[in-house]
Amino acid sequence: MSTQSILGLFQQPEPAADAMDGLKEAGFELGTFDVLTGTPYPEGAFGEYVPQHRLFRFPAFGAIIGFTLSVFLTAATQLAYPIVTGGKPILSIFAMLIIMYEMTMLAGVIATVVGIIFESRLPNMKPGIYDTRITEGWIGVVITFDDDSKVADAESVLNKAGALEIKHA
Amino acid sequence: MASEAIAHESEHHAPPPQVAAEIIARELVATTTGASGRFKVWAWFLGIASIAGIVALVLKFIDQSDDSTKWGYVAAMVSFLLSIAGGAPMVAMAPVMAKANWVRPVTRIASLFSFAGVATIIMLIPLVAILPPLVTEGARRRTIWYMAPDYSPHVWTTLSLVLLLVTGIALFYSAALPDFASMRDHATGWRQRLGKRLARGWVGTDSQWRTLRMRIGMFGTFYFLILVFVNFLVTSDFGQSLVPGWRDAILPMYHTVSGFQAGVAGVVIALYFSRKYMKLEKYVHLDAFWSLGRLLFALTLLWIYFFYSSFIVFWYGRSENDIATLNLQVRGPMMGVFIAGMVLIWVVPWWILIWNKVRRGTGAMVVGSFIILVGLLLDRIRTFVPAWSVPPDQIHERWLKVIPEAYWPTLFDVLIMAGGISMVAFIVMMMTRVLPVLSVWQVQEFNLLSKPIRYIRGHATLVAKPD
Repeated sequence: MSTQSILGLFQQPEPAADAMDGLKEAGFELGTFDVLTGTPYPEGAFGEYVPQHRLFRFPAFGAIIGFTLSVFLTAATQLAYPIVTGGKPILSIFAMLIIMYEMTMLAGVIATVVGIIFESRLPNMKPGIYDTRITEGWIGVVITFDDDSKVADAESVLNKAGALEIKHA
Repeated sequence: MASEAIAHESEHHAPPPQVAAEIIARELVATTTGASGRFKVWAWFLGIASIAGIVALVLKFIDQSDDSTKWGYVAAMVSFLLSIAGGAPMVAMAPVMAKANWVRPVTRIASLFSFAGVATIIMLIPLVAILPPLVTEGARRRTIWYMAPDYSPHVWTTLSLVLLLVTGIALFYSAALPDFASMRDHATGWRQRLGKRLARGWVGTDSQWRTLRMRIGMFGTFYFLILVFVNFLVTSDFGQSLVPGWRDAILPMYHTVSGFQAGVAGVVIALYFSRKYMKLEKYVHLDAFWSLGRLLFALTLLWIYFFYSSFIVFWYGRSENDIATLNLQVRGPMMGVFIAGMVLIWVVPWWILIWNKVRRGTGAMVVGSFIILVGLLLDRIRTFVPAWSVPPDQIHERWLKVIPEAYWPTLFDVLIMAGGISMVAFIVMMMTRVLPVLSVWQVQEFNLLSKPIRYIRGHATLVAKPD
C-alpha cells in the first residue's frame, strides 16, 4: 500500500484553521496532517498538533562531553608534567577553567548542529507535496494517508473549509 | 487647530502601510540580482583593496616576522575587526530574544557580518606566528595561561576565533533556511540551485518553524558566550600579556562593550546604505533606526563608564606598574591618539545622539556611526600598538621601566588596515548577492504580527507578541 498526500491551499489563515479543525472532527489521526506556511504563525494558531522534541538534550549532552574531555585533558597534561608554579597545587582549577570553558562551548555547538540535523528532519530528502505559493504567504494543509478510502473525506473537509486549490501526490 | 494637527503629524510618523506577502517575497528575492553600476564599482574597489591588504600582510610577514614590535597595527586591526564583525550579529540576537518587532527587518544584515569574521582570522594568522611562546629565555611570562603548555594562547585563541566564526555562520544559516526556500521557489539560475541545495527540503511545517526558533535561541546564546570569551582571550594574549605589569580586569569587558557599540554602528551604516540604494524604505522603517539609535546612545554612554572604571584603578593605585601602564596607554606617546579616540568614540557621538530629532532621522545617525568607528579604530590603536611596541627582552620585568617611542604606521600597515576594513565591507556586499539583504520570512512575520491603527487622534502600531 503506497502513501498518498493531498495539499489544500488557502490564502487566508482562518479557513486553514477551519480545515485543521474539520480534519480532527472527521477522525483523522494527529500527526497525519500538518500546516505549511512561509511565515512563522504563533504556535497553536491553527490548532495544530505539537510534536515533542529533544532539541535541548543535544547541547546539554555535548556540553557535558566537552566538559568531561576538558577536565581529562587539562588534568592529564598537568599530571604528566607536574611543575609547581607560584606555589599553587598541580591541579589548579582556575588555571584549567579557560580550556574547560572553551571545550565545553566547542562540544556544545557541535552537538547543537548535529541535534538540529536530526530534530529539524533536515535534510528532508522527500519533502512531499508542496506549492511555491506557500513562500508567498499562502497556507497549505497537507494530509498523508495509507488508506485510499479517506481521500474523499479529506477533500470534502478541505473544500468545505474553502480551499482554493487541492493538489494530489 | 489645523496647525496643531500639522505639527503633530510632522512630529509623529504614521506607521508604514503593510505589504502583501507575495510582493515581499518577489521584491526581496529580486534585490539579489541586477546590482547597480555604483554597487559594482564599489565592489571592485573594495575587492582590490582587500587583495592589496592581504598582499601587504604577506610581504610584511616575509620582511618583519622577526620583529614583534612592528606588528601593533595588525593587532589593532584584529581587535577592530573582531569588534565590528563580532559585535554586529548580537543585534540579530539580543532584541530577537526580547521579542522586539522592530528588529525583524534588521536581523539578516546584522548576521551577515558573521562572515566578515574570515577577515579577522586572516589578520590573526601572522600574529599567532609572531606571538612569543609562554616560556622565553628560560622563564615563564605572565599570562592567563598559568600552568598550560607553551603554545596554549596560540592554539586556544585561534580555535576560539574559528569557533566564533562557525557559530556566527550557524546562527546565520539557521535563520536563513526559509529564505533559501524562497530563493528555491522564486529565484532563477545559480541562485535557485543554491537555494534548493541549502534549503534542505524546507517546506515550512510547524515542526520546522518550532525548531528554527529554538536553534536561533541556542546559537544566539552560544554566540554571546563565545564572543565574550574571545574578547577575553584577545585582550589578554594579544594585549596585556605583552606588557610587563599591565593587569587590568576590566579591559576584556571594556573591549566587549565597545565591540557591541561598533557592531551596532556597523549595522546602522549597512542598513542605511541598503535601505537607500536598494529602495527598501517600505520594509526598513524609521522605527528600526530610532531603536538602533537608542541602543547606540546607551552603548556610547557605557563606553565612558567602562573606560573610567578601568582608568580610576590605575590613577588611584599609583604603584610603579600602574603609572607605567597609564604612561604607555594614556599619557605617553599615544596621548594624542587616545584623546582623538575618546572624542570620536564618546564625546561627538554622545552630542549627536542626545538629540531626539537626530535619532528620528537617518542621515545624522549614519554620520554618528561612522565617527564611532573611526574613534574605535583609534582606541584600538592606542591600546594595541604600544603593547606590541614593548621590546620582547623586557617581557620578564615586573613593570615597564622605559616607555617605548610611538610606532607610526608604515605603508604596509596602512594597506593592511585599509584592506581589512575593505574586506569586511566587501564580504557583506557580496553576501547581499547571494541572499536577500532583508530576511523575507522575518519581514513577512513583521507584517503578520503588527498592524497600523488609528489611536484616538494619533497613529500607533498594534503588535502581537505571542509566547
